[in-house]
Amino acid sequence: MDSKLIRIEIEVNGNAYHLFVRTGETLLDVLREKLGFKGTKQGCENGQCGSCTVLLEGKPVNACLMLAVQVNQKRITTIEGICSNDRLHPIQDAFVTAHAVQCGYCTPGMILTAKALLDKNGTPDDKEIREALSGNACRCTGYTKIIDAVKIAAEKMNTQKK
Amino acid sequence: MKIPGVLGVLLPEDVPDTRFNCSGNPPSPLLVKDERILTDHPLYAGDRIAAVVAETPDACYEAIEKINVEYEIFAPVFTVKDALAKNAVSIHPNLAKDNIVKKINVEQGDIKKGFEKSDAVFEDSFHTPTVQHAAMETTSCICYYTLEGKLTIWSTSQTPFQERRILSELLHIKENNIRIIKPVMGGGFGSRQQLHSQHVGALLSKQVHRPVKMINSREEDMYASVVRHESDIYLKIGVTKDGRLQAFHARVYFNTGPYSSHGPVVAAAASRKMQYLVPHYLYEGRTVYTNAPVAGAMRGYGNPQLTFAREVMFNRIAKKLNMDPVHFRLINHVRVGDSFPPGNVPVMSCAVEECVRGAEKIKYTIDRKENGAVRDNSQIVEAWGVAFGCHTSGPSSKEGMSSCIILANDDGSVRLFTGFADIGQGSETTLSQVAAEELGIELSDIAVTAADTQNTPYDTGTFASSQMYVSGNAVLRAAGNLKDNLKQALIKKYKVASDNITFEKGTVTISFENSEKIMTFKECVQKLAFGLKETVLIGNASFKAKESPPPFAVCWAKVTLDNQANTAEVKHIIEAVDVGTAINPEIVAGQVEGGMGMGFGYAMMEKVEIDKRALKPISSDLLHYKLPMSMDMPKTHVYIAKGYEPTGPFGAKSVGELSTIPVAPAIANAISNALGLKINSLPLSEIIVPSGYRSG
Repeated sequence: MDSKLIRIEIEVNGNAYHLFVRTGETLLDVLREKLGFKGTKQGCENGQCGSCTVLLEGKPVNACLMLAVQVNQKRITTIEGICSNDRLHPIQDAFVTAHAVQCGYCTPGMILTAKALLDKNGTPDDKEIREALSGNACRCTGYTKIIDAVKIAAEKMNTQKK
Repeated sequence: MKIPGVLGVLLPEDVPDTRFNCSGNPPSPLLVKDERILTDHPLYAGDRIAAVVAETPDACYEAIEKINVEYEIFAPVFTVKDALAKNAVSIHPNLAKDNIVKKINVEQGDIKKGFEKSDAVFEDSFHTPTVQHAAMETTSCICYYTLEGKLTIWSTSQTPFQERRILSELLHIKENNIRIIKPVMGGGFGSRQQLHSQHVGALLSKQVHRPVKMINSREEDMYASVVRHESDIYLKIGVTKDGRLQAFHARVYFNTGPYSSHGPVVAAAASRKMQYLVPHYLYEGRTVYTNAPVAGAMRGYGNPQLTFAREVMFNRIAKKLNMDPVHFRLINHVRVGDSFPPGNVPVMSCAVEECVRGAEKIKYTIDRKENGAVRDNSQIVEAWGVAFGCHTSGPSSKEGMSSCIILANDDGSVRLFTGFADIGQGSETTLSQVAAEELGIELSDIAVTAADTQNTPYDTGTFASSQMYVSGNAVLRAAGNLKDNLKQALIKKYKVASDNITFEKGTVTISFENSEKIMTFKECVQKLAFGLKETVLIGNASFKAKESPPPFAVCWAKVTLDNQANTAEVKHIIEAVDVGTAINPEIVAGQVEGGMGMGFGYAMMEKVEIDKRALKPISSDLLHYKLPMSMDMPKTHVYIAKGYEPTGPFGAKSVGELSTIPVAPAIANAISNALGLKINSLPLSEIIVPSGYRSG
């Protein structure tokens, strides 16, 4: 198969990485297998479930659909990168408060998608939250508590801003 | 021809040709051994023919491409109807000439007499589709077979101890040399209540002397792992004119695919979920071989299918008799002291009336908020539908068993060792709460080691909503045993009689002649355990279930139909549950909401579709298989009744499977009420287009 190696530079969670990747290698493979960011989950490899959502320059993308070579010189945030000084990010905190986690497999993707939403819209309504999360499948929760968590997180983040 | 990176290949002739049954149930004559590790006679699109192990997935795919398989193609049968046709090919001629693997007949009274005594008789046929669990993590395992003949497996497993037993028989390895570990797991819903690829993984590892990792693609999970049984149901119900059930006759055909797996047990389990009193009861369950995907355990285990047909039929009966649908159900419902037909095991807790009241209160609030009960004009029609459901706490065959060891640490914190598998439902949390409550310590004082066949004691497994009731009773008893042992140590240390020591909510009181000594559980442990002190404190217990108390649910769904667009939106689902004591109400609510999500998908849009031309399932990914997404989900509302089950740990029953059971019929009844149409099959997207947020 594609044996040609290409050198890329990426920034993941604030740290720079220089890597050699194959042309067909996905961002998901690189994050999980080369860099050890196992919080990025593989659910379908087809961009249909959102488990592998990461932030690319602040926007949510399915890491399984991005080739590693496409993210050269780009800034990536995974779930490991959003807490600071061992303190949970307010969205992570809200997911705990709202009991929005069951098996936890969709959770990293949900939280990162929610972060992208709340970074650009601090007061989303129910419909906007559902729309934002519509690419992230969850089989355990029926979404109710996840949507609650995003609302709680929005309030928390707004209070912190004030 | 050598492909770089390929390490080994297994063909059918390389593996033991032993027939086995993959189901993670305890051994039973209902589990027919009809499956092989690899087969040269594949019976469906997901069958295992050969296995390749390589250093990279790409090398595996390349090698698989190079394997030439010559097929002799027979005419396949995919449906129950085709499999039972006169000239249908026998899929396992030696086991079932007529393709019926097992027949389960359950009877009470005299069904013929029952219908004669009835004032009105209703009969009809129903169909429910094949659906898939679609757990977010796909099925996977890592198998490592060492040169010393020790096998270690990390796998998505709901039943590690059953899987160990089957592997031991299949591969001739003693159970003490097989270690199965269930790591943190991304859901299950029944799909891992069985052996999946561990046998192949173990044999590949044995061949190459390295650990072998196997991860299903989503496509493989969709139709080459396991699905819920498609069913064809015939139902005939007789009632008196005042609405009392007289006779209930169900004949259910379960499409098990080419291997029987759980099939006959599912057929048997479905007979035990009739929560209404009926003097004359006849249940006939038939498990049928086809060439469709293999069916197995999935949340509800035969119950969603028959409950759908029954509750839809009850809607029609109530309408015909001009009775309120809830009243009709309530006058026939079991109460404490009654037994489900055909049994003589009295129900010891039932808070169905409170469920009815709780759900109706929520319904009233919704209607008030949405300006009036329901809209009904020429274009937009709104309607509510109701259904009841029940399930079991632990296998209804009463095979549930669990055990637990609790080890006290120096500082009085403890560790639980138990075989149960938390697959995302939160059982490690709730069962820690049980131990904390019994010992009078904080939840943070408890750590759990679970689901590791080398380091934890036996548990039947995570199925039949067992954890809270069966495993919970084992944890409770182990904590009690730890207290007993602590007491013995206190007797020895303080030289007092047994009666002089009392435990009350974590406080230990030792009465001396003229004084009292009051300590916490932790202080006692610190005084007694380890070092130069008296003892090491361990508690242990096993629990064999004698009952499987049914939890109950009442579910309402509100739909809006647009007659012009022929669309239906499910706006609200309310579910009220009697789960006994809710040990952790947030986890219970989460289970109910998740069950509503799965029930909503079952009702509206989920179906594994087999293409007649491709001769295989085409629902191979999450676009073709319509999983409910956040935009689809109706608003959910949960009410938890204050039930109490005397045989449960602190009064608890189960919730996991229960919550999904009544949802599809409630939605079907709502749509039927709005459309004025009879509904006989799922998913409802086949008669009406689901709408909601997703469509704008």
